[in-house]
Amino acid sequence: MVTGYKQEYVYKHPWERVTSASWRKFADDENKRILSHILEVDMLNHNLDPSNGILRTTRAITVHCPGPWFVRKIVGQDMCQCVESTLVDAQNRSMQLISRNISLQKFIEVQEMTRYDPHPDNPAGWTLCRQETSIRIKPFSALASMAEKVEKRCAERFLQNSGKSKEVMERICKYLEAEATGLSL
Amino acid sequence: MKDKKPSSKYSSSTSPCSHLRDAYNNCFNRWYSEKFMKGHWDKQDCVDEWQKYRACLSQHLDDKHLARFLEAEQIDQTHLTTSSKKEAYPCDSQS
Repeated sequence: MVTGYKQEYVYKHPWERVTSASWRKFADDENKRILSHILEVDMLNHNLDPSNGILRTTRAITVHCPGPWFVRKIVGQDMCQCVESTLVDAQNRSMQLISRNISLQKFIEVQEMTRYDPHPDNPAGWTLCRQETSIRIKPFSALASMAEKVEKRCAERFLQNSGKSKEVMERICKYLEAEATGLSL
Repeated sequence: MKDKKPSSKYSSSTSPCSHLRDAYNNCFNRWYSEKFMKGHWDKQDCVDEWQKYRACLSQHLDDKHLARFLEAEQIDQTHLTTSSKKEAYPCDSQS
């Protein structure tokens, strides 16, 4: 079976600031403390098309994902490698990310798609974040018999992490706003 | 239930590439906010920082691992498309 959910969130900050914040999420010590489930983030590739302002990047993300003891016993580890592919369209002010696991694939498939666009009610000042997550325990894997339980627990964990992520984003946006305001004085 | 952080092969502070990564990330973030977001998309800065960081990664991420990541990237980037038309926003009073 598949567990899926969608989320929307409004940042009362312009798109340029919000997407800048997204890149800075894993940077400083305080953010790292809050997002403690993220162990490593490395940029693997980036490509800028100067003709249209499209930036594409790929990042490798190592996540700490402990499950209950009975899952740990089957899966055998509590770290997961993920890939995050990003496209930033500077001209049209749109940013899209796809994250998914590339390890533990014989047990689970998780995919998260995120979009940042100017908010239609206030395109200059606000940003709309839309996120879709899907979690699927592989049908013939050793976890299949408890698929529903594991998927639900994963979803709960992701929502929790998602909350932390928003907290970090808001923090960075406020910092960038203060910085910008200070400079213009 | 307490979560114990595992001793990762590369913990953030001891990853062999972490200084080069930080240097690159700082440069990238400055370029992104101060140039790319202000319409300067003619070229990317941070070439030197990137080369050093990437060389370190190639050395320390084993080949099989790296190949796996890059293979996944090929697939995912094809799903990310640009469009000049924005998706219709569902009308509700959320905001």
